[in-house]
Amino acid sequence: MRYHETGDVHLDFHRSMNGTIAYLRERYGIEMLDELLRRTAREVYRSIRDDLMAGNPEHLLEHWTYFLTREGGEFTVDRSDNEIRVTVDRCPAADYLLKREIPLDPAFRRQTTVLNEALGEGTPFEVTTEVIDDLRYVQTIRRRQ
Amino acid sequence: MIPSDHFVRFYNEVFKALELLGRDHLEAYWREIGDLQTVELADRFQAGGLEACRDYWAQIVQEENCQADLKLTEDYFEFRMLQCPSLSKAMDNDASPCEHYCDHCMAWVEPVAEASGLHAAYDIESRSEPHCVMRIYKDHEKAQAYENQAKLPAKPYTQPAPEDASGGEKS
Repeated sequence: MRYHETGDVHLDFHRSMNGTIAYLRERYGIEMLDELLRRTAREVYRSIRDDLMAGNPEHLLEHWTYFLTREGGEFTVDRSDNEIRVTVDRCPAADYLLKREIPLDPAFRRQTTVLNEALGEGTPFEVTTEVIDDLRYVQTIRRRQ
Repeated sequence: MIPSDHFVRFYNEVFKALELLGRDHLEAYWREIGDLQTVELADRFQAGGLEACRDYWAQIVQEENCQADLKLTEDYFEFRMLQCPSLSKAMDNDASPCEHYCDHCMAWVEPVAEASGLHAAYDIESRSEPHCVMRIYKDHEKAQAYENQAKLPAKPYTQPAPEDASGGEKS
């Protein structure tokens, strides 16, 4: 895995993320925010995309499960022939903010939905996010037909 | 979810994008962060002075996995960063680091210190090696003297804050 942080976790960066998303959305609009998230997918997570491009979804799955575990999230992984599904029952980022009564920015979840979509673009996999509520979502890596 | 461990790399992308729009866009974002940090910290630093600064950064060393030496003297608090986790991540990155990445730190410390009646001075030392020295002084002239001898002083703001530009006083 390309990024493999250890040691203490500074969860308050989720507050910074929420504030930055709000700042960009309010001043520059959703399209600018989305383009930054797509660029993050393409450039920061280039190695994950390279592996998807090469037909290997395991790097992305390891990335998701490692950091959800590290931050105390609750999730399950289901595999079938064609897809890998990660059902997040308690997102640690949203949980951290909501427990401190910090409202999630309306675009907060785009860091997941837009980033995932961009990770899959141009690869043999579609990466989708189904948002259930503030704390729950389902991420799916599905081989394109 | 972008993991909290990876916020720094997203932050780096934000800096680069805003700087492409113009330096004033980047500085406006830094001012926003400075305002938020001022709300969080200025009362604490004003009440507790340099000791409160030392206590805050001692906690940051732990939470953000820094390697740093902290020193408290009669005149100043010094935070000597030996291994900055933030710049280290911005550089250990498939994306390129923002050229002015390090300046974001002084960009929020300076307004917090000013609002607390203190004075910050930074020696970035290097933009490609993750170490630097921050000092917070009680006395403005001593802070200025430290900054004058710095190898690479941090000067994040090229323009005065909007309220300064209009000649008004900060509240």
